[in-house]
Amino acid sequence: MTQAFRLAAGGEIDRARPLGFAFDGAPLCGFAGDTLASALLANGVHLVARSFKYHRPRGIYGVGTEEPNALVQLATGARSEPNVRATTQELYDGLRAASQNRWPSLRFDFGALNDAFSRLIPAGFYYKTFMWPSTPRAWLRYEHAIRAMAGMGRAAHESDPDDYEHQHAHCDVLVIGGGAAGLAAARAAAQAGARVIVCEEQPRFGGSITDPDAAIDDAPVGAWIERARAELASSPRVTLLPRTTAFGFYDGVLVGALERVADHLAAPPPGFPRQRLWKIRARDVVLATGAHERGIAYAGNDRPGTLLAHAARTYVERYAVRPGTRAVVFTNNDSAYATALALHAAGVDVAAVIDPRSAPERDGPLASRAKDSGLAIEAASAIVSAHGRLRVSAVDVAPLAETRSRRIACDLVCVSGGFNPVVHLFSQARGTLRFDDALAAFVPDCLPLPITAVGAAAGRYGLADALAQGHAAGKEAAARTGHRSAADLPEPRSESRGMTTVHALWSVPSKGKCFVDLQNDVTADDIALAVREGYTSVEHLKRYTTLGMGTDQGKTSNVLGLALLAERLGVPIAAVGTTTFRPPYTPITLGAVPGRERGAHVAPTRHSAMHDWHARHGARFATAGLWLRPHSYPRPGESEDDAANREARNVRARVGVVDVSTLGKIELAGRDVATLLNRLYINTWDTLAVGRCRYGVMLRDDGIVMDDGTTSRLGPSHYLMTTTTVNAVKVMQQIDYLLQAVWPELDVYATSVTEQWSATAVSGPRARDVVAALVDIDVSHQAFPFLAAGTCNVRTAQGPIAARLFRISYSGELAYELHVAADRGRALWEAIITSGAPFGLMPYGTEAMSTLRIEKGHIVVGAEADGRTTADDLGLGKLVNPGKWCVGKPLLSRPGLTDPQRWQLVGLTALDGAMMPRAAKLVTDPDRAAPNPMEGHVTSWCYSPNLGQWIALALLAEGRARDGETLWAVSPLANARVRVLVGSPCFIDPDGKRLRA
Amino acid sequence: MPDLIVLSEASIATAWNVQGDLHRADFAAAATRCFGVALPETPNTVVRNVATAAFWLGPRSWLLLADASRHRDVLAEAGGVAFDVSASRVGYTIAGPQAATLLARHCPLDFDRQVFAPGTCAQSLFGQVNALFYRHIAADAFTLLVARSFDRGVIEHLRTSAAQFGYAAAASRPFVAD
Repeated sequence: MTQAFRLAAGGEIDRARPLGFAFDGAPLCGFAGDTLASALLANGVHLVARSFKYHRPRGIYGVGTEEPNALVQLATGARSEPNVRATTQELYDGLRAASQNRWPSLRFDFGALNDAFSRLIPAGFYYKTFMWPSTPRAWLRYEHAIRAMAGMGRAAHESDPDDYEHQHAHCDVLVIGGGAAGLAAARAAAQAGARVIVCEEQPRFGGSITDPDAAIDDAPVGAWIERARAELASSPRVTLLPRTTAFGFYDGVLVGALERVADHLAAPPPGFPRQRLWKIRARDVVLATGAHERGIAYAGNDRPGTLLAHAARTYVERYAVRPGTRAVVFTNNDSAYATALALHAAGVDVAAVIDPRSAPERDGPLASRAKDSGLAIEAASAIVSAHGRLRVSAVDVAPLAETRSRRIACDLVCVSGGFNPVVHLFSQARGTLRFDDALAAFVPDCLPLPITAVGAAAGRYGLADALAQGHAAGKEAAARTGHRSAADLPEPRSESRGMTTVHALWSVPSKGKCFVDLQNDVTADDIALAVREGYTSVEHLKRYTTLGMGTDQGKTSNVLGLALLAERLGVPIAAVGTTTFRPPYTPITLGAVPGRERGAHVAPTRHSAMHDWHARHGARFATAGLWLRPHSYPRPGESEDDAANREARNVRARVGVVDVSTLGKIELAGRDVATLLNRLYINTWDTLAVGRCRYGVMLRDDGIVMDDGTTSRLGPSHYLMTTTTVNAVKVMQQIDYLLQAVWPELDVYATSVTEQWSATAVSGPRARDVVAALVDIDVSHQAFPFLAAGTCNVRTAQGPIAARLFRISYSGELAYELHVAADRGRALWEAIITSGAPFGLMPYGTEAMSTLRIEKGHIVVGAEADGRTTADDLGLGKLVNPGKWCVGKPLLSRPGLTDPQRWQLVGLTALDGAMMPRAAKLVTDPDRAAPNPMEGHVTSWCYSPNLGQWIALALLAEGRARDGETLWAVSPLANARVRVLVGSPCFIDPDGKRLRA
Repeated sequence: MPDLIVLSEASIATAWNVQGDLHRADFAAAATRCFGVALPETPNTVVRNVATAAFWLGPRSWLLLADASRHRDVLAEAGGVAFDVSASRVGYTIAGPQAATLLARHCPLDFDRQVFAPGTCAQSLFGQVNALFYRHIAADAFTLLVARSFDRGVIEHLRTSAAQFGYAAAASRPFVAD
C-alpha cells in the first residue's frame, strides 16, 4: 500500500529507509523515524481500536504517552504485549500489531451492542450488580459475561524471552525532559561543572517543538537542539538517556526511570536487555516534562478522525503526514491556530476554526495570522456534535448563544481544550498544585525538596519562557549542589512565545455521548450521575465512574472530569482538587522490576567447596537456607529414598561422611568470651577447658528456643561457636548487637568464619579407623575423648592440610568433625573418601543425616524448635543452669511456659507396620467428629532403616508422662490414620555407648 | 580498541580480620609494629605498603592482606584479636572504562571517581550478596570481594552484564591493592 497521506517533503522521517509492517494482518509501509501511529496515519488508517466498555470505534487521538485510544497488541508469541500505545511505539521493519477488544473484526464488532444498550450500563453499574438482584447466584452468572466483555489485550502465555537489567546512577542535577527547557537546564548545569543526567522519553531530543519557523539564538530550532545535544553528549559529566521515561519519584530524591533499550527493534541485540530500569539518586531535579493537551466534551467527540490539535500538528510537521483532507479545528485557546496554519500549509482544506471566544485574534498573534492566511474563523461558537461511524464525516457547529446549528463536512477534527502541565513527578514528591485560572490548569505550587518545574511543566508555554526558565533552573540547581562557573554561559534566547490564556470551555451541552475519559468510556453524563448519587469527592468520583483509571491514568481526561464535577457542584475547580498522583507515570513492564534477579537468581545460591564433587558423584540437591546441600547420592537405578536408607544404614554399620560446611561458624576471642557464652546459652561455660567442646541452647528474649549448636574452646581466650545452617546470620547479628549495644564493656571480638572453613563429619563405628589413617595425632578414645577439640594435619594427595578436629556427633555414632580452610575443602573431602574406602565409607546426604538424628532423638531448629517450644518442652530443661542469668531466662517463668500441660517432645513408633503419615496430628479417637481435639503433632518422621519401621518425633501434651500410650496419628490431607506408640524420642543407643566408643 | 571490560579473578593468599580499639595507644602501636602500616581510622580508607594493605571495615575492624598468625599474641596483649579469613572471600577484578557502569548494574554505590576515590574501599551489596569494593589506583579498575560460597552467582552476573560491552577474560592474578 502506498503512503497516500505522506507529504512529499519535510518531517524528521527518513524516506530512504522504508519499513514494512502489518496492522490486523494488512501489509503497510512506513519510514524510519515513524511511530506506529504516524505510519498508520500515513496510510490513511484512523480506526485502530474499539473502546473499553461500549466498543465504539476509536482512532488515534494523541501523539505520545497521553494516548487513550490507540492501544494495540504488539507482536506475537512470547514477545506479544497488550495495550501498547501506537503513538509511542517506534516503527521497525516487520512490526506486527493487532487491534484489541473486538470480535470478530475491528470494523464489525459484536460488542458494539453495548453502545446501543448503554442506558443499562451507566457509570457504577458494576457496583450496582453487587446490590441487585440480591441473590449471589445471579452475580456469579453475569460476572462471567462482564469479565468476557471487559479487558483490553491479552498477555502472552509463554515466559518472557527477554532480559531486563537495573542500573544505579548518581548525579548532581537530574533533568527530566529533553525539550528546549530541559536542554537549556542541562547545558547551564553542566557548564557549571555539575554531574548531569537527562532523561528523555522520546528517541530524540527536542520535546514537542515542531515549529519550523521558530529560532533560538538566531539559529533554526532544530540546529540549536542538535548543537545542545551534541555538546552535552561530548561532556564526560553528562549522561543523556533517550527512550527513557522517569516514571516514579521515591523517598530521598530517588527517581525510577525505564530505558527502552530495544523496544524499537524486533528483538534485543545479543547480550543486551530489552529494557533497563534506572534508579537515579539525584541531589537536585529539574522537571521539564512539558504539558499534555486535553479535549472538550461534545457529542461524538470520540469519532475516529478526532485528534488533539497539537498531535495533528506534530503529525504534519514531524512525521510529514496529512491526518485528513478536510479539517475543522475546535479550540478554546490560541495554540491550535498553529495547527490550523500547519494543516493549511500541508494542503489540508481547513473548513473552519471554531472558537468559543468572541474575538480570538484579540487574544493571540496566531489567531491573527490564521485570519490573515484566509482561514475561516467562527468566533463565539462551538462544535455541538460530530457524525460518522468508523470515521468522522461532519460536525454540527452552533454559535454559543443559539441552538440552531450548521453542519460542516470534514474527515478530521482537531480539538484543543487547553493543556495540563505534566506535574505527576512533582506531585508524587508531595509538591502541592495550584489551579491557574488564566491557564485553566493545575500548575506546580510549592515543594520543600530541591525540585524545580520549568517550561510547559510549570505552565509557561513557548520557547522564550522555556529557555529562560530552564537556563535559570539549571544554573541554580548546579549552584545548590556546589557548582558555579566563573564564565557564565549566555542564556539562550528566542522570540517565540506561547499562549498565556485559555478560555475555560470544558463541555458543550448536547444530546449523545460526550466523552470525558476516552479510554474508560466515561461521559459527561456519567459524571452528572455520580454527583446525583452523592459521589461528590474527587476520589469517590474517580472510583465510581473509573475516570482516569485506565492505563493512561487520565492524562487527557482527569482535569476535564474535575472541571465538570466542579461545574455540577457549583464550586471553583480549586476547591475540588485533584486525585493523588502515584507512580508509575506510564505503565512499566513487570520484567523490569526484578531485572536480573529472576528465575534461578531470585535469591543467591550458596555452594560448598565440595559441591562439584557431590554433583559429579550423582548427588541430588536440596536447599537449606540459601545453600544447596546433597540430599542423597543415588546409585544408578536407585531411588532417592533407597539411597538415603542405604547411606543411613551404612553409618550405623560401618562409616559415612557428610558435608557440614553450611553450619554457621563464629570465632570469638577476648578475655570475656566465657561470660558472653554464659549470658547467651542456657547452660554453663566458665567450666569449659581448652580443647573441649560443649553443646548449648540459646533462647530468644521471650524464653523460646532460638538456636542450638556446639562451642569449642580452641585456646585460653579463643572459641569457635557453631550454629544451625539457617540461623547462622541471625546468631551473628544477635552477638554483634549484644556486644555493641548492650554489653560494650565485655572484651569479646567476634567474626563469622562460616565461609573460611569447610567442614565434614565422619561418623560410624569405623570412624576412628578412617580418621586415624588421615591425621597426624592420636585419635584414640583415651587421647581424644568424646567432646575433645584440637588441631592436626590431614594427609592428602596435595600434601598435608592444617585442620581442626572435633569429637562431636549428631548421628549418635562415634564421630569426628574435620574442618579445613575452604579452599582446601575439596582436597579434604577426597582424602576422606579415599582413606575411608577400605572401611566401607560412603558419603551421605541431608536425608540420611535427618534419619540418623530422628533415630537419635536430636531436635532440629525449625521442626521441633519451631519458635513455640522451650528447652524443657524439648527435653533439654536440665541444661538450664538455675544459678545464672541468660538471654530469655527471666521470661521462662511465665505461667504460659510453665504450664504442666505443655506439649513435650516424644518419640512415636508406627504400629501395624504402617507408614507414618506426613505432618500428622495426634488424637486419642480418630473417629470422633470434627473438631477432633488435637493432643499434639508430628514434627519429624522417617522410615528407620536401622529399626525397620516408621518412626517420628512429636510434640505431645504432657508427653513425657505418656510413655507406652497408644494414640492415633491422623492426616486428613493425606487421608491417613495410623496407630502410634508413644515412647522416648531416643530410639538408638539411649546410654550413648556408641558415641563414647 | 581496548576492551571496555576485562574480568579476572583476584586470588587472595592470606587475609586476616584484625579487631581492636584504636583509642588504645598500645593497640595502635602493636598493629603498626606487626603490619608496618597504621590501621586506618577513616571509614572506607585503605592504608598500604609494599607487603600489606589494611582495609577499613568498621570502627574496630579491618581486613589485612597479610599473614597475622605470628602476631596474634602481640595483638592480644594490646586487647586486639586477629582471625584467619584467608579462604573466606574470593575476589574479581573488573577493569576498563565501563567497569563502574558494570558494577552500578548490581550495586547502589556511587562509583564516580570523585566520590569513590582511587585507593579507597566500600562495603555494600552486589545484587543480594554482601560485597567489599576496592578501587585501584594504578589502573581504571575495581576489585570486588564476596564470600566464597556466593562466587558462582556473582561471576555469572558479572559475565551477563558485561556481555553487551564485549568483555575479555584475563588470567587470575593475586589481589594487590595497587
